[in-house]
Amino acid sequence: MSDVVLDVEHLSKTYELGKRHVQALSDVNLQVKRGEFVSVMGPSGSGKTTLLNVLGCLDTPTSGRVLLDDVDVTKMSEKELYRIRRSKVGFVFQTFNLLPYLNARENVELPMECVGKPAAERRRRALELLAKVGLAERAEHRPQRLSAGEQQRVAIARALANEPAIILADEPTGNLDAKSKHEIIKLLADLNLKQGTTIVMVTHDQQIASYTERMVYLNSGRITREKQGTLAGRKKHACPYCGGKIEPGDETCGTCGKPLMPTEEA
Amino acid sequence: MGVLTRAVRNISRRKTRALLVVVALGFSMAIMVSIPAGVTANQLSTQSLTSNLSGLITQTETSLNQTLTEVDCSLSLRFQGFGFSGGQFSAGGFAGGSQAGGFMPPSEFGGGPFGGGGEAAMNASLYTDVNASLPDVAAVVPVLQVSIGHNVTIERFGRNFTRVVADYVIEGVPLVSPLVDDYPILPVNITAGRNLQAGDSGVVLLSENNTGYFGVGVGDNVTILGQTFTVVGVHGASGVSDRLTLYMNLSDAQALTNNTGQITLLKVFADNSADVSSVANEISALHPELTVVTNQQRLSQLQAMQASYGSALQNAESTVSQMQATATQEIVVAVAATSLIIFFLMLYTVRERTREIGTLKAIGFSGWNIMSQFMLEGVLLSLLGGVVGIIIGYATAPMLASLLLPHVNPFNSAAGFRNAAASSLSIQVLVTPTLVLAALAAAAALGALGTLYPAWRASRTRPAEAMRYE
Repeated sequence: MSDVVLDVEHLSKTYELGKRHVQALSDVNLQVKRGEFVSVMGPSGSGKTTLLNVLGCLDTPTSGRVLLDDVDVTKMSEKELYRIRRSKVGFVFQTFNLLPYLNARENVELPMECVGKPAAERRRRALELLAKVGLAERAEHRPQRLSAGEQQRVAIARALANEPAIILADEPTGNLDAKSKHEIIKLLADLNLKQGTTIVMVTHDQQIASYTERMVYLNSGRITREKQGTLAGRKKHACPYCGGKIEPGDETCGTCGKPLMPTEEA
Repeated sequence: MGVLTRAVRNISRRKTRALLVVVALGFSMAIMVSIPAGVTANQLSTQSLTSNLSGLITQTETSLNQTLTEVDCSLSLRFQGFGFSGGQFSAGGFAGGSQAGGFMPPSEFGGGPFGGGGEAAMNASLYTDVNASLPDVAAVVPVLQVSIGHNVTIERFGRNFTRVVADYVIEGVPLVSPLVDDYPILPVNITAGRNLQAGDSGVVLLSENNTGYFGVGVGDNVTILGQTFTVVGVHGASGVSDRLTLYMNLSDAQALTNNTGQITLLKVFADNSADVSSVANEISALHPELTVVTNQQRLSQLQAMQASYGSALQNAESTVSQMQATATQEIVVAVAATSLIIFFLMLYTVRERTREIGTLKAIGFSGWNIMSQFMLEGVLLSLLGGVVGIIIGYATAPMLASLLLPHVNPFNSAAGFRNAAASSLSIQVLVTPTLVLAALAAAAALGALGTLYPAWRASRTRPAEAMRYE
C-alpha cells in the first residue's frame, strides 16, 4: 500500500450554468499522505466543496485524475463509485445530515448496512464508535434530542464506520457554536493523532484550520499556497511558533505559551 | 434495523399525511372491492329471477295444458282471472337476492291463482242450473277452497303493512264417480301413499309442503282445525297453485270450515276444448255476477306474459352488461386514482427527501438500495390502504354499489313498495381470504406501479446535486 492515500493531478472542474462556464477548479495538484490531517482553506466560491465532492466521488472532474488508495476514481461508473464511497471514504457534512428518524446508533450503523455487515456486528461497532466520540450514553437518542455538537460527533462516528481510507469533512464546524467547534476539531485532531485517521477538511475558518497539520489555500479554483498547522509541530515535538520542545499531548507551548490545541477560550 | 424498519419509520414520521393518503387509498380500494360484489349480486338476482320465472311458467303451462277444457266460475273480486296481475308481480324476488328464491309464494295470490276462486263463498244451491245438462258441458265440479293463514305485519318506509300469509289451503272436491276418475280435479303427481278416490271421507291428501307444516306422513293422523283426518297420500305440486293445498272430500271440507252448502268455485268442463268459449258465454249469460275464466284464456295470457317477461329479462340482462361496463370503467378509474395518489405522494416524498438521498448516496448506498427503500414505502402505504379499503368496502358496499352502479329492475313498471324495496340492493362484500389476498395483491401491485417512477428518480439522484438541494 502506497504512502499516499490521495493523489490529485491536474484536476479541473467546469460547471455550465446556462450558457456561462464556471471554472470551479483549475489544475489542482494535491497529495495527501496516510495519517495526514489536511485542511483546505479558501473564501466562499473558491471551489473547496467542489474539490471535496470530487475527492469523495460524489462528483466527476472535467479533466485530471484522482487516485484514491492507488485507484483512479475519475473514470469509474456510478456503480463502481458507490462501492468506493462505502468502503474508502467517510463523509462529515456541515449540516451533519443524520437521518432524523433513526437514533444515533442506527445512524452510525447505516454505512455498515451497505457493506452487508451482520446486525450484531454493526451494533457492536456502532456502540464502540459512539463511545470513541464520547456519546456512549446517547446511543439511543434521536438527532433532535442531541445538541449540534453531539450530532456532529454522531456524524463523525458514522464516517468512521467502515474504516475508510480517508475522512472528508466539509465545514464540519460551520454550524457549531465556539465550544462545540473546538470539541469537534479536537476530536478530529485526536483521531488523526491517535488512530492515524487520514482527514481532509474544508473550512473557511482560519483558526480552526490552524490546528490541522497542513493548510492548503484555494483561491478561484487554484491552490495558491500551503502552510503548516500546529498539528505538524505536535507530531514533530517542536512548537510551530517558537521551535521549543513540546509533547503531542501538550495543549500550549511550554516555551512561548501559545495554544497548540483548540481551547474554549481560543 | 433494516430497510423495512426505515420504511415504517418514514411512514409514521408524517402521521397525518400517511393517514390521509391511506384513507384516500382506502376509498379507491373500497370501490374496487365493492363494485365486483355489486355486479355479482345483480347478476345473481337476475339469474335467480330468470330461473324462477321460467320454472314457474313451464309448470303453469303444463298444468293449464292438461285442463284446457276447464272453465272456472267464481265470485272472486280479488283478481280478474289470472294471478299474475299488476303489483302482484312486482317480484320481491328482485330485491337483490334477499328474497330471490322466495319469488311469489302462492299465498300472495290469495289462496291459489288457478283456483280462480279467491275465497268468496257462494251458495251452491243458487247455481244448480250450472250443470251437465247445459249444452256442450261434460261435467260441473263444485269446489270449496279455504286458505288458512296468519297475519304478518311488515314495516317498510315507516309504514306498517299487514298481509295474510297462507299456511295451507284446504280444497274440498266431490269424491264421487265418475268426476274423480274422469276429470282433472285432483293432483296427478302422487309421491307417497295413494290419491283420493271416490267415496273417501275423513282422509286427506297432503302436499309435500303440508307434510312439513303438520309434521306428519302417510298413514298418520293429522289434526286440521280441531278435527282429525288420516293422511292417505302426498302429492308433489304440479304448479305453484297447489303447493300449499291439501285435498279432502267436499262435504268434509264444508263441515270443517263451517261452510255447509257453500262453495268457492265451480269447475265446469266442456265437452271439448273447442266448446270452451261458448260454455263460458252461456254461464256468463246465466249468472252475470260470476267471474268466468277459461284455462284457454289463462294460457294465452300466460303466453303474452311470458313474452313480456322475456323482453323484460332481456332488458335486465342488457342492464347487467351495461352495469358491467360501468363497473369496469369505475374500476379503471379507481385503479388509476390509487396509482396516482401513490405516484404524487411518493414524488413529493422523494423531492422532500432529496438531501437525505444525497446523504445516503454519499455514505455508500447504491441506486438500487435507495430505489428499494422508496418502493417498499410506497407498497407498504398501499397495503395499509388495501386493509382500510377492505374495511370500508365491507361496511359501505351496498351504498357504494348503489351509488356507482345503474339499478337493475326489469319490472320497474310495477308500482308499490315492493318495487321501491327492489332498488335497495342487498349487496354484501364477503370478506373471504381470497378477497383479502386479491385486494392486498392489487394494493401492492398498484403501490409498486405508482412508486416506480419516483423511486427510480430517487435512485438516479446525483449525490453532489442532492447535497446542494435546499
